[in-house]
Amino acid sequence: MTNQRSIKESHPPGDFAIWIIIYVELLTFALLFAGYAFSRRTDVTLFNASQLVLDQTSGFINTLILITSSYFVVKAVQSVKNMTQKSTKSANESASKWIFLAMLMGFSFLVTKLFEFSHIFGLGITLSTNTFFMFYLLLTMFHFMHVILGLIILGNIYQRTKHAGYTPDDHSGIETGASYWHLVDLLWIVLFPLIYIIR
Amino acid sequence: MQHKLEITWFTLVLLTIFAFLLGYLKYTNTAFVALLLLSTFIKGQIVIDYFMGLKEVSLRYRLIPAIWLLTVLSLIATAYYLPL
Repeated sequence: MTNQRSIKESHPPGDFAIWIIIYVELLTFALLFAGYAFSRRTDVTLFNASQLVLDQTSGFINTLILITSSYFVVKAVQSVKNMTQKSTKSANESASKWIFLAMLMGFSFLVTKLFEFSHIFGLGITLSTNTFFMFYLLLTMFHFMHVILGLIILGNIYQRTKHAGYTPDDHSGIETGASYWHLVDLLWIVLFPLIYIIR
Repeated sequence: MQHKLEITWFTLVLLTIFAFLLGYLKYTNTAFVALLLLSTFIKGQIVIDYFMGLKEVSLRYRLIPAIWLLTVLSLIATAYYLPL
């Protein structure tokens, strides 16, 4: 979250290249979300029955986890953006703490998801079981990979904050990584009600 | 405003609890699905505006994900509400 300003920035936070990637990801997931929603119309009974196998609580917990991790990432960005030349070290330390917490949340998401996948695969469910599970596995595994990539990016940011690598003039990197992490959150915010709740 | 970020996070948590309760209590008839999609739009827009920080940048950059969100949720609503 940025500070109150009267004049708007001309470009979004971070490196513009990440925004190209974000737009492509949004488009890809939009096709998958629409594909799921319209495929459901072809066999509502099958989709509703298959959905009962999913653990809504796990999806709920993972939503809270991602929202909270995004909050931690914003706190880290704020620490770095509000730094002065004198507070560079302490600001990086503070950002480091927030990024670590965000990563912890990210790993918790992966663990919760792995338990869910383990339950699903334990039931003998695969991509070819039916259309619902094809979309469920495709969407959630694709998103799972995005979380892993997001964690790798956060890991790099964490390393840099540990070496006080961000300065008042150079903090684009943390904003770039943060933007990607928020994308992961945004995608899950749509995925959760679509796959787990709507019936 | 002090604690603006915390209020934002708390709003997201409340809307998530609302969505979960709709599913948990099996309140997923047509009216509640509309509410659920509306709450999802609000959540997504909060992330776009305050977490991604796009509220403070040129409108065109804010509009791209906002239009994406609106389009996706409209498609989901269309698929749900169109008669079979």
